[in-house]
Amino acid sequence: MKLKVVTAQDQAGQSNAGGKQPRMPRWLRIMVFGRKPKATLVRVAVLIIASFVVFRFILLPIRVEGISMLPNYQDRSWNLVNRLAYFRHEPQRGDVVSIRLAGPHVMYLKRIIGLPGESVAFANGRVLIDGEVLDEPYEKLHCDWNCPPVKLGPNEYYVVGDNRTMPPEFHKHGETPRSRIIGKLLL
Amino acid sequence: MKIVFRIVLFAALAALGIWLWTVLFPNPEKVIRKRLLELARTVSYSSSEGDLTRLAAARSVGGFFSTNVELNVELPELGQRNSMDRDEITQAALLARSRAGGVRVRFPDINITVAPGRQSAVADLTVEASVSGEHDSIVQEMKFTLRKIDGQWLITHVETVHTLSGLPQFHFRYFELCSAAGSFHS
Repeated sequence: MKLKVVTAQDQAGQSNAGGKQPRMPRWLRIMVFGRKPKATLVRVAVLIIASFVVFRFILLPIRVEGISMLPNYQDRSWNLVNRLAYFRHEPQRGDVVSIRLAGPHVMYLKRIIGLPGESVAFANGRVLIDGEVLDEPYEKLHCDWNCPPVKLGPNEYYVVGDNRTMPPEFHKHGETPRSRIIGKLLL
Repeated sequence: MKIVFRIVLFAALAALGIWLWTVLFPNPEKVIRKRLLELARTVSYSSSEGDLTRLAAARSVGGFFSTNVELNVELPELGQRNSMDRDEITQAALLARSRAGGVRVRFPDINITVAPGRQSAVADLTVEASVSGEHDSIVQEMKFTLRKIDGQWLITHVETVHTLSGLPQFHFRYFELCSAAGSFHS
């Protein structure tokens, strides 16, 4: 009498022979589900939750639209907004920040040039902070703006785009309260 | 088995009760949100719109507003007007529809604050309008005050919000924005 050890694979083969569902090849099963499917499932769940938390609350994916930040940020380009950038310190001059309107789905993208308490003016295209000319290496498209001084409040920042080739009345810029600044551009 | 059946029946009845409650006594915030989204749909139109459709849509735009609407809007077309009645709104909607080729209006962000008496509310929203054939959209933050009149939430006050103060905010060509991915459609 011969004894035969029936393995799980043999059983699987028998069930296949019975004309039921064809089994996925082992290598493919390992590629898709891993050696431990339960652990893979947990990993996938953790990845989904982590992605949701990161991209919803920390790094906000955005698409830049418009020409006001040219040539540093191109129209229709993608970027990320770091919402934790100002967790430990306040916004700095030169930071490119996102400013919310009614909510986070549509925002302005601007550069901070004036800090709280300062006076901001434009004279022949140069930015004057408390009467002193501001060095702006990021501004590559020169302009001839002239705007009277604006005194910023204790919680206000002055923001403007990098592309100032259009007349100032056609470019959205001005004071914004700190509460509207959502975060700093990451890239 | 009988207990399980009773539990299931009780849960189904409770769900039905909750659903009935939301139908009979809807949350004002939800009603207002729905109404504002309907307004966005109504003011949107395509270039192939017929005359009758245009007239009907313009009339229904007026239905979202109270008989007299206070305005604090910086729009060159409106000049320095402080108020408009419903007929004037209908006329303005008709005029706008006959001018531009096609406009798609969206309210991507709506924040609603309902007053304690549940008879008035303020909606702070972002208006995004895409004119057909134009590369850029128009973006503006606005504030609507709504009042419950004869069981309907009607807009009584419209105001443009200065997101960046200092200069006039409503520009039709040069605007700049960035938007959260996934929820924004150009």
